[in-house]
Amino acid sequence: MLTRGMRLRLHRARQLLADPDASQLALADVAAQAGMSPFHFIRRFAAVFGDTPHQYRIRMRLERARQLLALGEGSVTQVALSVGFESPAGFSTAFCRRFGEPPSAFRRRLLPALAAPGRMPPLLVPGCLALMTAAWSSPQFLQSASERSAAQCRSPSHHRSKP
Amino acid sequence: MRIRLNSVLVDDQAKALAFYTGTLGFLPSQDIPVGEYRWISVRSPEGGDAELTLEPNANPAARAYQQALFEQGIPLTAFEVDDIHAEYRRLRNAGVEFTREPMQAGPVWIAVFADTCGNLIQIYQLPAD
Repeated sequence: MLTRGMRLRLHRARQLLADPDASQLALADVAAQAGMSPFHFIRRFAAVFGDTPHQYRIRMRLERARQLLALGEGSVTQVALSVGFESPAGFSTAFCRRFGEPPSAFRRRLLPALAAPGRMPPLLVPGCLALMTAAWSSPQFLQSASERSAAQCRSPSHHRSKP
Repeated sequence: MRIRLNSVLVDDQAKALAFYTGTLGFLPSQDIPVGEYRWISVRSPEGGDAELTLEPNANPAARAYQQALFEQGIPLTAFEVDDIHAEYRRLRNAGVEFTREPMQAGPVWIAVFADTCGNLIQIYQLPAD
């Protein structure tokens, strides 16, 4: 049973894991703040949120990085460091595994879609059911992630879904 | 005008498709790549023509809404079941975390679980006629 107290502690831990200012906080410390042993924390977090705390933290970093890249803010290296990765190489590998293309290729592809500097391309912030309309109205974006993955990610282990 | 479409916000579409089909048991319906995301829908194996779309929560407003509902313990949507106790046992055995075990709310039985995509989902059983 997921009690109210446990739900709120897991919710706060999730926010902490997504916080770029807390990117150096050890998972054991996040678990301690949630009042659980690391083992119990990892098991419970994964059962409720579908990712381990580590997977969730990496996913949030990659999503923030993707937004920064789409906004044209900073170099790939600067983006990697600012979201909490320790090396640009590790960042590029993780980005490619998740999104099917290297960060540099993503940025090149997205920049022409920038309506105005500093403003997110609409397809990165889909509104309610906006995808339905977008499916028909934006052919320039119709190339699927799997096609990109096959073309640009060299390792056969690179695919969009997580293990 | 008909109501045939409902949607749930999800924090990861691939993970959501795995949970809504593999764990809950819905059937995959549409899966169309749309730029950075996918138009994914599932339907019930028990029939009906309603589709449920698994919608990315990438919009910050969507994420804030989803997280606020979770924090307040409010389900995003509800699905009807014939035997809530059997569903509860089945999902519990599959590792699903419930925030509310089956309880009677007036003539209706309800239960609430976490869908691993950032939401609480209610299931309910209507009284037998």
